[in-house]
Amino acid sequence: MKLFNSILAVIYREFKLTFRNSYDILSILIFFILGILIFVFSIGPNKELLSQLSIGIVWTLLILATNLTFKKFYQEDLNDGNIYLLHISGISYEIIVIIKLFCLWIFFQLPFLIMIPVAFLLFGNNFENIYLVMEIFIISSLILTTLASISGAMNLLNNKNIALGSSIIMIFSIPIIIFSVSAINSSVELIQPQINILLGILFLFLAITPWISAFCIKIAISNK
Amino acid sequence: MLLVKNLSFYRNQKIIFENIDLSLSPNKIIHLKGSNGVGKTTLLKILTKGLQPQKGEIFWQGKNIFKNSSDYFQNLTYIMDINTSKKEMTVIENINFWKKLFSSKINSKELDSVLKILSIEKYENSLVSTLSKGEFRKLELCRLVIEQKKLWLLDEPYSDIDNESIELLSETFKNHIKSNGMIIFSSHHNPELQNTEVIEIKKNYETL
Repeated sequence: MKLFNSILAVIYREFKLTFRNSYDILSILIFFILGILIFVFSIGPNKELLSQLSIGIVWTLLILATNLTFKKFYQEDLNDGNIYLLHISGISYEIIVIIKLFCLWIFFQLPFLIMIPVAFLLFGNNFENIYLVMEIFIISSLILTTLASISGAMNLLNNKNIALGSSIIMIFSIPIIIFSVSAINSSVELIQPQINILLGILFLFLAITPWISAFCIKIAISNK
Repeated sequence: MLLVKNLSFYRNQKIIFENIDLSLSPNKIIHLKGSNGVGKTTLLKILTKGLQPQKGEIFWQGKNIFKNSSDYFQNLTYIMDINTSKKEMTVIENINFWKKLFSSKINSKELDSVLKILSIEKYENSLVSTLSKGEFRKLELCRLVIEQKKLWLLDEPYSDIDNESIELLSETFKNHIKSNGMIIFSSHHNPELQNTEVIEIKKNYETL
């Protein structure tokens, strides 16, 4: 019960801190919209081409937006000693990672659920497969959050090199972008198998992320 | 009782300290002294399991803390050399967070008096970012009273605070050891405290 109360206290504080720094979320959403506008302007008024490329562009921008969030995971809490304080309070590093995954997915990925229909509007897509896009987005965004957690934790070990964290997200997001875009653009009978592959990737990352991230955090604390 | 046996720590092929023995029983204070870089903070980090020593063992109530730390953490308050309160939150929001995190039984009347004694009661609803360095440190020291644990480990608790607060902190130390508490702190300051063993850590220039 004590552990449960501690976890609730941490989640409540994360909500409060994110609410106070809401411009962070806003700036990431603006980045996403600006990215779409740049693609729209650079491709030109060819509606058919825009529509064909739209899903790939949206997913690329989601990955780039995730790149902007990975430093939010652990860096600040490591610098001000909060990760260690939480650990001493009895919360294991693995549970701290799970709390962070939950909070950052809600704050930095879920807002894109509103942005995707906006992107569809900007690309002039029809909305007939919007539910499928949303479903695949939810799975992909969870995978991207776990990747951001691993990158954020690895970045603690070498925080001078931000490119390292970004590269990890980029490399591991290649299969996500392949299966997500392909599932949306493929024929009906091929949709479910590709969603199943994405779910498989998600469960794999959900299983390994707490351990990998916690391991990196422990090393970062001992190096500090 | 906290028992430290033969503790050695090396970093980058350099010996930070070697074969340190400590024994801390209830009603006792250990004051760690030594010049900058001798490893006082490192020793405190090892005592809180933040660092793994290359040699030696630490026992809390007879149990090795590296094998069983839950009981140890339940009795431990660690005040680091950095302040853990979140600057984007108000003083009272930080305090409420600590209360919930550590399931503190302190009531609001006791809390008000602590804030009043530390002269930060008027900033209760102010953001921590608006506090001075000393007030920021005093807020961190509030955790000692909020958490109500038996063993206190403090890294440079006297830094940044004014003379009045230094005396107040020393009084708090005295009250804590009167109620069977135990304290280990590192400081360059020399407070007048009873039941205190001063341990001087010497600079080690040897390499492995």
